[in-house]
Amino acid sequence: MDAIRAEALTKTYRGLLRKAGEPALCGLDLAVAPGTAFGLIGPNGAGKTTFIKILLGVVRPTSGKVEVLGGHPEDLAVRARIGYLPERLHLPEAWRPPEFLASVARLKGKRPVRAEISRLLERVGLAQAAGRKIAGFSKGMRQRLGLAAAVLGGPDLLVLDEPTDGIDPLGRVEVRKILTEELSRGATLFLNSHLLAETERVCERVGILASGRLAREGRLVDLCRTGERWILEFAPGHDAAALAGIGLSPLAGGRWGCEAETAQALNLVLDRARASGALLVRLERDERDLEEVLADAVRVAA
Amino acid sequence: MRTTLAVAADLLREASKRKWFLGLGIAITLVLSTLGLSLKLDVVDGALAASRLFGHLLGGDIRAVDVAMRPVLKGTSYLVFYVGLVFGIVACADFAPSLLSPGRIEHLLAHPVRRSELLLGTFLGVLALALLASLYGAVGLTLILGVKAGLWTLGPVLSALIASVCFAAIYAAMLTTALFVRQAAVSAGVGFLVFFGGILAGVRSDIAPMLDKGFGRSCFLAVTLVLPRLSAVATAAADLAGSTPMPVRSLAALLGGVFVFGLGVLALGIFRFEQKDF
Repeated sequence: MDAIRAEALTKTYRGLLRKAGEPALCGLDLAVAPGTAFGLIGPNGAGKTTFIKILLGVVRPTSGKVEVLGGHPEDLAVRARIGYLPERLHLPEAWRPPEFLASVARLKGKRPVRAEISRLLERVGLAQAAGRKIAGFSKGMRQRLGLAAAVLGGPDLLVLDEPTDGIDPLGRVEVRKILTEELSRGATLFLNSHLLAETERVCERVGILASGRLAREGRLVDLCRTGERWILEFAPGHDAAALAGIGLSPLAGGRWGCEAETAQALNLVLDRARASGALLVRLERDERDLEEVLADAVRVAA
Repeated sequence: MRTTLAVAADLLREASKRKWFLGLGIAITLVLSTLGLSLKLDVVDGALAASRLFGHLLGGDIRAVDVAMRPVLKGTSYLVFYVGLVFGIVACADFAPSLLSPGRIEHLLAHPVRRSELLLGTFLGVLALALLASLYGAVGLTLILGVKAGLWTLGPVLSALIASVCFAAIYAAMLTTALFVRQAAVSAGVGFLVFFGGILAGVRSDIAPMLDKGFGRSCFLAVTLVLPRLSAVATAAADLAGSTPMPVRSLAALLGGVFVFGLGVLALGIFRFEQKDF
């Protein structure tokens, strides 16, 4: 059973007078395995937030089928197993963090336990601010509190919309640690983030949404792979003309590139380079970063 | 039901922390204190009685105490009723738009909560808040009348309770409006529309003959037909507070009308809330 399964999902927002509206999702198919971290990326208006809202039963699809944790998103038993952090969480300004978390616990059908709430605030780095009013919180502190609310009760599925937005670099490390702990616990992580580096660090699989469709989806390493290109770096003093002569192409920063479909072909190139007197100090696959993959997928989808 | 009550209790907790509500609580206390300290109301009780308010004889003739006090009790009742409603409309206009604000509503709906429970919880929370505030004012007035004049009556309290029923109908319209237009000003505007419309509806049979026969009068009668008869309820509440005889079942019928209006509008709101994408 998948943690999330969407089949031919479409959503078109219509106005009050039922005028034809803009389609936000156009036949989305997606499956996320339980216990994994999945990142959804895409440009603004691609339909990411709409999809998340459909997962939570906040928005109803126009057509298609969606299953969350094996049930319907509007099933209360299913929702009780989901933790959610919205992109712009609106918090009650006059409350203090423990009051907010106690309220969330009650909404989740749990009895608020003071010790558990204190532990949670400690975990997200807000223990020192527990006595302060939320009104005085920075954006990062609000995100941390929202994250605490999402993980409260140990949900099976965490749906996080921009979880590290507004959090400083050190804070992001802490958030990643919490997300990793949740993954180790067995929770499924569904992450929507504009910060591609965050997605790369946390998620094993990534989906690229463009114009309401899933443009690409798969393991991060597969998406970033560029066929059989390799990057080589040699110790200073190598013969550039000789390396060019055996088919290596010069790259920026004194590095060299080559195409090799098999391990034998790669080693043959390396043997020839070494025979010319060049000493290999670094060898890596030529992989694109997620930003390039996204730009490419969006261009193709358009 | 537990979730509904939890949502209502959260709303009360949130309101109790807002400076705006603390300020209104202090304002009511100040008004009551000022009245308590400055009111000069002398009632000479006996077989016959007269009352003086700020040194002036009420009415003119010396009458029985319950008759003599009727203007004071009725005035108090009207004051509690109308001021309570206006206070409620202004103070509670922001709750529904705040509940429906982006970043809050989807967070709430992502919890194992039915949409109807969320809406009813908000409705009940606001009503509890309005009831508490109006009862605070009404009990204060009752105490002032009791201590100052030895006149112990439940009139203001009854009036506050009746005003709360009317406020429930008005707030149902405000809540439903917020589901269509998420603006506190629009919500308050509709509240005042029902408030003033309800005042007209209470005297619709007196006003209708003043309008030309035909479309205008028909429209007036049709619009005011569905509105709660607020002014008639206020008069009935004042009669009750002043122990004035009133037609059998008239108050119950009026409150029944208010209840039906409120229930109908709230049902429309729940239907809209169930259908809406956030």
